[in-house]
Amino acid sequence: MMRLFLEATIKIAILIGGLMTAAAYLVLLERRVAAWVQDRRGPNRVGIPLTKISLFGLGQPLADGLKFIFKEEYTPAHVDRWLYTLAPLSILAAALATFAVIPFGSVIPPIGEGGPIPLVVAPGVDVGMVYVFALSSMAVYGVILGGWASNNKYSFLGGLRSSAQLIAYEIPLSLGILGVVLASGSLRLDTIIDQQAATGVWNILVQPLGFVVFMIAAFAESARLPFDLPEAEQELIGGYHTEYSGMRLLLYLIAEFLHMVTAAFLIAILFLGGWHLWGLTGSGDEITLFTAVLRIVVLTVKVLATIFFMMMVRWSWPRFRFDQLMSLAWKVMLPLGLVNLVAMAFVVEYRQWFAGTGTWAAVALGWVVLIGSSVGMALLAPLSSDNRPRSASEGAARQQIFS
Amino acid sequence: MGVVIVDGIEVEVGPQERLNGIQAAERAGIDIPRYCWHPGLSVVASCRMCLVETGNRNPESGAVTMFPKLVPACQTPAKDGTVFITTSDKVKQSRAFVEEALLIDHPIDCPICDKAGECYLQDYHFEHGQKERRADIAPFTSRRRDMGDTVTLFVDRCVMCTRCVRFTREIAGTSELLVINRGAHEEIDVIDGFPLENKLAGNVVDLCPVGALGDKDFLYSQRVWFMQRHPQVCTGCSTGCSIYTEENQDRVYRVKPRENPHVNQWWICDDGRYGYHHVHSEERLIGAVRQAGDATEALEWSAALPAVTAALEAAGRLAAVLSPHLTVEEAYALAKWIRQLDPEAVLALGPVTTVGADETFKNGFTIRAEKCPNRRGVEEVLRHFTGGVTPFEALVAEVDAGKIGGLWVTAGSPTCWIDDSTAERLAQVSQLVVQDLFASPLWERATFRLPGVSFAERAGSYVNVADRLQTAAWAVRPPAGARVEGSVYWELLGYRGLYAPRRILDEVAQTIPYFAAAAEPVPPTGVALKAPELAAAHAAAGGQP
Amino acid sequence: MKADDPNIKWIEEPQLGLTGRMYLPLIVQGLTTTTKHLFGPKVTVSFPEERPLIENPLIYRGVHRLNKDEQGRVKCVACFLCATACPAHCIDIIGVESPWPDREKYPESFTIDELRCIFCGMCEEACPVDAIELTSLFDLTGRSREEMIFDKEKLLSVYDQTKDAEPMPSVRLGITPAHRGMEGQH
Repeated sequence: MMRLFLEATIKIAILIGGLMTAAAYLVLLERRVAAWVQDRRGPNRVGIPLTKISLFGLGQPLADGLKFIFKEEYTPAHVDRWLYTLAPLSILAAALATFAVIPFGSVIPPIGEGGPIPLVVAPGVDVGMVYVFALSSMAVYGVILGGWASNNKYSFLGGLRSSAQLIAYEIPLSLGILGVVLASGSLRLDTIIDQQAATGVWNILVQPLGFVVFMIAAFAESARLPFDLPEAEQELIGGYHTEYSGMRLLLYLIAEFLHMVTAAFLIAILFLGGWHLWGLTGSGDEITLFTAVLRIVVLTVKVLATIFFMMMVRWSWPRFRFDQLMSLAWKVMLPLGLVNLVAMAFVVEYRQWFAGTGTWAAVALGWVVLIGSSVGMALLAPLSSDNRPRSASEGAARQQIFS
Repeated sequence: MGVVIVDGIEVEVGPQERLNGIQAAERAGIDIPRYCWHPGLSVVASCRMCLVETGNRNPESGAVTMFPKLVPACQTPAKDGTVFITTSDKVKQSRAFVEEALLIDHPIDCPICDKAGECYLQDYHFEHGQKERRADIAPFTSRRRDMGDTVTLFVDRCVMCTRCVRFTREIAGTSELLVINRGAHEEIDVIDGFPLENKLAGNVVDLCPVGALGDKDFLYSQRVWFMQRHPQVCTGCSTGCSIYTEENQDRVYRVKPRENPHVNQWWICDDGRYGYHHVHSEERLIGAVRQAGDATEALEWSAALPAVTAALEAAGRLAAVLSPHLTVEEAYALAKWIRQLDPEAVLALGPVTTVGADETFKNGFTIRAEKCPNRRGVEEVLRHFTGGVTPFEALVAEVDAGKIGGLWVTAGSPTCWIDDSTAERLAQVSQLVVQDLFASPLWERATFRLPGVSFAERAGSYVNVADRLQTAAWAVRPPAGARVEGSVYWELLGYRGLYAPRRILDEVAQTIPYFAAAAEPVPPTGVALKAPELAAAHAAAGGQP
Repeated sequence: MKADDPNIKWIEEPQLGLTGRMYLPLIVQGLTTTTKHLFGPKVTVSFPEERPLIENPLIYRGVHRLNKDEQGRVKCVACFLCATACPAHCIDIIGVESPWPDREKYPESFTIDELRCIFCGMCEEACPVDAIELTSLFDLTGRSREEMIFDKEKLLSVYDQTKDAEPMPSVRLGITPAHRGMEGQH
C-alpha cells in the first residue's frame, strides 16, 4: 500500500512538472512554427539568463513565465470574484487530471522488488476512455464560468459559443472512439495499444474515416483553429479570457495547451498505435529496458508530430463561421461517425473473414468507406450553409424584419 | 422696377438702385471675377478681368441684341432689359488671356507670399486660367520697398489695379500713393518724404487683391489658411467697427474689417487694426488674489467667488462701477447681482476715456475720441436700475462721505484709467473688488483682485455711439487664471451651465424697453436700437412714413 | 444602405466543384501552402547584427533632414507647406524675414516632433524648394521626449551626415551632367 502511494506520488510529481514544462515549451514551439509559416524567425533571442548565449530562444518560456508572474494580477471591479477565481483553477485541474490514465509508454522492467512499473499514474483503470471524456468535458465549465464571471458581453458570448461547440462535438468524438473500442473490445487505453501492437495494423489504417472524424472533433474539443470560436480574437477580443490577466490568464493558457496535448495523446494512442513501431518496439510483454525506453521515445515522437500538425493546421485554414461549425458537427460529422461505426461493426461481426491476410481486406474496406462517404457527403450535404440574401427583394424583406 | 438677365436668370432691380453688371450678377448667384473694381471705390475698369458679353432686350418684341465686343461688367449699368452673358467661350477665353498676361511677370513665390490662400490671382487662376504657362520666363524674387511704417510693397507682385491709389484719394483723402512710369513699367509708389502714414493706411493691404501690399505687423507671422476668423466688434472707440479677429490656437494674429454698411462699410482704422497686441501682453493679470492686511493670498476661482460674496454681504452699503468696456450682458448681470445683495446699491458708470477729438475722413469714416465701446449700452442698463446715470465722480464723492462699505469696480481698458489719488480715495471702502485687465493703482489697493479679459476673449453685445447694438463671439480662450467677467456674474447669479450671453440679452431685451429690438436674433451687422423708438415717435406725431 | 439600393450589384458566387465540396482535397491544399512556407526563405532581419537592406535610400522614409544650399544656408523658405500637409501636425515653424538679400523669408526655428511624426513623406512631397527630405536613417532612438523633438540645427546636421550617401533631388534628378547616373549607385 505504502509503495503504491509512494509510486503514485512520484509519478504525479513527474507528470505535473513534465506537463507544465511541456506546456511552456509548446508555447515556444507554437510561436516558432507560426513565425516559420509566416516567413518570420520567431522568438530566438532569449537563452541562458545573464549571458549572451541564445539557444534558439529556449529561454523564452522562462522569460514568459516570469513576465506572467510579475504582471499585475488585476481583478476588474465588475466581476463575480468567486467564480472569476474558480474558473481558471477548475479548467486547469480538469486538464491535468485527465492525464491520470494516459499511458506514457508501456511499462518499465521491475526495479528492486515488485512487478514491472506501468508508466501511468492510475494503472489498470478499466474505463480509461470514459474517464478521459468525463474530465475533458469538465473543461467547458471553466470556460463558461470564466465567461459568466467576467460580466462582459464578449466573454459571455465566448462562453456560450464554447458550451454549444463542446457539447456538439462530444458526439462525433465519441463516435470516432466507439469504432476503436469496438475493434479492440476494451475501454482500457493500454489494451487498445496492445491490440494494435499485436496485429501490427494501426487503427488509422483500418478505419481512416473514424480517424478523420475523431481528429476533427478533437480539434474542436480543444478549441484550436479552425474551431477556436470561443476565443476568436478578431470577433470576441479573446472571448472568455478577455478580462483575465497575470497568473490566472496563464492558467487558462496552460490548460489550453494541455487540452492539445491530451488530444494528441489520444490520437497517437487510439489511431497511431501508441508506443508501437513495426519491428522495433516488440509486442506485448517482451520488455527489456531498451524497448521500454524506445516505446517512450516512439510515443513521444508521435505525440509531438501530432501537436506539430495541429500547429500547422492553425495557419493553414481559416476559422469557421458559427453556423458552419454547427452544421459540420450535426450534418456531417455525426452521419460520418455512424457510417464508420457500422463499417467497423461489419468488420467485427465477420472477423473470421478478416483474420490473417484478410486484415488487408479490412484496410481496403476502410479506405473505400472513407472515400465513398466523403463523396456521398459532398453530394448530399454540402457544407456550404450560406444564408446571405440572394436578391434585392430578399435583402429588403430581411431588413424589414430586423428594423 | 427693372429686370436684368444674367446667364438666363432674371434679376429684379429696384427703380432707385444703380447697379453695375457685377452686382446684378451677384444677385443671380454668379460671381464675375475682378481685380480693380471694389464696391467702396470708384470704377476704373482697368483690369479687364470682368469682361462679359452684354446686350439689350427690346421691351416690345423681346428680341435680344448683343454687342459685338466684350465690355467690362463693372462699368456697365444694369438697367431694365440689360442682358449679361458670363459663361460663353468668348468670355472664358478673355479671362484666360487676362490671367496669362498678369502672370507673365508675376513672381511665382506663392509659398512665401502672405496673400497665398486668400489671393484673387491664385483663385482666379485656378478657376479661369490656363492649365499651362506659355511664357518662358524664370520666376524671380519680388523687389520690396516700404510705403510707410506699417505697409510694405512687393513691387513685382502688383497687378496695377490701383485700388490702393484710389483708396488714399477717395476714402482717406490723403493721396499719398500714386502710379509712376507708363505701360509695362507702371509701379505704385509714394513721393519721397510723404510716406503712407494716414490712420486708414492698413486698409490698402486688405484692398490689394494680390500680395503686393503687405502688412508689416502680420508679415510672415502666420499662413492665412491656419487661422479661424471670428466676427467681433472693435472696442478701440465708440464707433464700434465690425471686425474679424483672426486667430490660430488661441493666438490672435490680425484684425480685419468686416463689411457693415451701417457702421464702418469696408474699412477700419489702424488703431483698431493693430490694437489687438495687448491681448497677448506679458503684463496681463493672471490668477485671483485676496489681500488680507499686508499678506496676499492666491485664490482658486472656485473659492474666490464664495469668498467675495461673503465679504460683500457683510460689507454694508454696496456700490458697483460698471465699466464702459463691459458688454451689455455683463453690465446687466453685475448690476442685477449687486442689487440682489443690496437693493439700494449705488451703481455708477466707469470713467470714459477720451483722447483728442473725433477724426473724420473724406468719406465720413470717423475715429471717435471716446475710447470705449459700450458707453451707451451701460448707460441704459444703469438708467434701468437706478433711473439715471451716476457719474464716476459722484460715486467717488459718496465713498469719501463714508457711505459705501463694499465696492465692486470693473475696468478692462487696455490703458491706465485711474490715477493714484482717486484710487486712494476709493480704497477707503472696507471691501474693494476689482476686475481688470492690467495692473492699475486701484488694483494694487483692492481686497479681491479678479483678472478680467480682453475683447478677443469676450462674448456679448456692444452699443455704439449711434445706438446700434452689435453682437460679438469670443475668438480666443482667456489665459489660464483669467476669467471672462460675464461668466463670473453668471456663476454669482446662480445660473446653470456655461455662460450664455444670449440668454442674458433675452432678459435684457424683455426688461429694458431700450433694448427691445435685440429680442430677435441680432444680424451680423447689428440692430438699430433707436429705430423702433423713432418709428413710434413718428407714428405718434401722425407723420407719413 | 438599403438592400434594394440600385447601386448594389447582386452576383452569384461561384459554385464549388465536387473536390471542393468533399473538403479533404482543399485541406491538403492549405496544408501544402503552409508547409512550403515552413521551409521557405525568411524575411526577418536579425537587426542589430544584421542591417536591413535599403534598396533605394532616396525613396526611403526615415529621419528628416533640412537641406542646405551651396552657401551652406538652410534651403527652407518657411512657407509652412510641410506643416500644412502634415497629417500628424508635428512640424512647427517660425518664419521671419531672412537676413540675406536674395531671400525673403527663412525659418527662425524649425522643429519636428519625431515622436508624433508618422513618416508618411507628405512634407517632402509638399516642399516647393526641396528643403525637407526623409533620409534612410531608420534607427531613431532617444532617452527623452525632448530629445526626440528635432530643431533646425539637428535637422541640418542630419543633412551633413547623409548628404554624401543621399544627394539632394536637384542633383539626383540629373540637373548637371556630372551627376547623371547617380541613381545607379544605390
